Amino acid sequence: MQSGLGVKAARVAIVVALFAIWEILSRTGIVNPRLLPSASDTLVTLGDLLQRASVRKDLVVTASEVATAFALAVPVGALIGFLIAENRYFAEVAKPLLFFAFSIPKSIFLPMFILVFGVGFSQKVGFGFFSTIFIVIMSTTTAVESVKVEHLTVARSYGATPMQTAFRVYLPSMLPVLLEALRISMIFNLTGVILAEMYASRDGIGHQIATWGENFQMKQLLAGVVMIAVIAIAFNELVRWVETRCSHWRT
Amino acid sequence: MQPLANITPLKPAGAIEVRNVGQIFKTTTQDVVALDNVSLDVKPGRFVVLVGPSGCGKSTLLMMMAGLRQQTSGTITISGAPIPEPDPNRVGVVFQEASLFPWLTAEENVEFPLALRRVKKDERRAKAQDALKLVGLDGFGKRHPHELSGGMKQRVSIARGLVQDPPVLLMDEPFAALDEQTRMTMGDELLRIWAATGKTVVFVTHSLTEAVYLADEVIVMSPRPGRIVDHLQVSLPRPRTYEMLSGDAFGSLRDRIWRHIRKSA
Repeated sequence: MQSGLGVKAARVAIVVALFAIWEILSRTGIVNPRLLPSASDTLVTLGDLLQRASVRKDLVVTASEVATAFALAVPVGALIGFLIAENRYFAEVAKPLLFFAFSIPKSIFLPMFILVFGVGFSQKVGFGFFSTIFIVIMSTTTAVESVKVEHLTVARSYGATPMQTAFRVYLPSMLPVLLEALRISMIFNLTGVILAEMYASRDGIGHQIATWGENFQMKQLLAGVVMIAVIAIAFNELVRWVETRCSHWRT
Repeated sequence: MQPLANITPLKPAGAIEVRNVGQIFKTTTQDVVALDNVSLDVKPGRFVVLVGPSGCGKSTLLMMMAGLRQQTSGTITISGAPIPEPDPNRVGVVFQEASLFPWLTAEENVEFPLALRRVKKDERRAKAQDALKLVGLDGFGKRHPHELSGGMKQRVSIARGLVQDPPVLLMDEPFAALDEQTRMTMGDELLRIWAATGKTVVFVTHSLTEAVYLADEVIVMSPRPGRIVDHLQVSLPRPRTYEMLSGDAFGSLRDRIWRHIRKSA
């Protein structure tokens, strides 16, 4: 997707304007600056926070939880999704059930995760995994369905082994859909882990944000919000960049 | 072909023999007879076209010749041996337009059959280049399918079918998705490639004009259960030209096929 220079400039302008409005609202006192510290103060605080060893440690904790949950949920979910999609009977049985499961807000299960795993690493990873796996399964079934029968017939007519068919037809056919799935899964995963940290935790950036909120440390709270937003957007854009590079595969 | 010493092969490379072939599709409610007692001989190097109304089983028959599907009864041999599974050394297959892999370049698509057999990169590339040259796509190897026109895509498909140099080329409505002009040009191109390679070609189409224009022989099939209702020899001289389309000989052959098909419609 190519967008013109004008469109890009307009996007930057909107972001700058939002920060400017934020700054003005706070500086002029239209909104109580104790409730909404100014944008500039927030960014300075963000710089300070990133220098702090404790905050860095929290970021590492969160990152490792997110990475672990993601590394477990994606392959497991992809495998389940693949098996379901490849078997028409399974697909027919399981699909509506998956939609049911997917529609339930995952947060209501959080207390159960604490009871089972206690408060700590495995609870976050478990909940992150649980928040992510349904979307991975559903996206994978969609990805498998995007594989064209014609392509499979071609592979068969040239004597491809099942392994060759998997790596030379299924994988490249599914890749564009899988990348999109990866991107969306990460949104769910990050939400799950941070929610788990905010709800009950001793460390992690989600826990920090919750604590800053409870203690009315608005500058730190907003700095944390900006920090997480930037990390999430960066990951999202990275995958989207790869996606656009293979977008013509869909045709 | 040079016979080895005193051993003469029973059937020369490229011969296709279809004997009393039947195909029954079992569905939950009933058995559908797709093909009924079809017999057919294709001599090496001939250009044979299968025509018939939709559902007459012409594509099914082609898929069975390719080893992609097994007949319920009867036998099919290619170059003298049955074909229980696809064998790209004996049979190349060209499908409809959507069969190229969009994530591979033209030359990678042509190399695909060789890559499956772990042929070395250099040899693969060289063979793909030759095949692309043969179909008139020299210099287009690095393009992806979405950068090629419909006609060019089908040239790539033909190159892929020929890259392992099989004696038989099976083509399942390869030009169905093309516009009229491109279709005519591709017909001429195919005849040129066929003349240059001497392959046995079995070609499935809906178009009667295309059938008569391309073929040495036209096999006309009836709708379910698919049977052969006529077998025409097209004695028009080669190379075929556009002017022949309006000639009497051409017209009477096409009318004869049309009468069979109209009867069954």
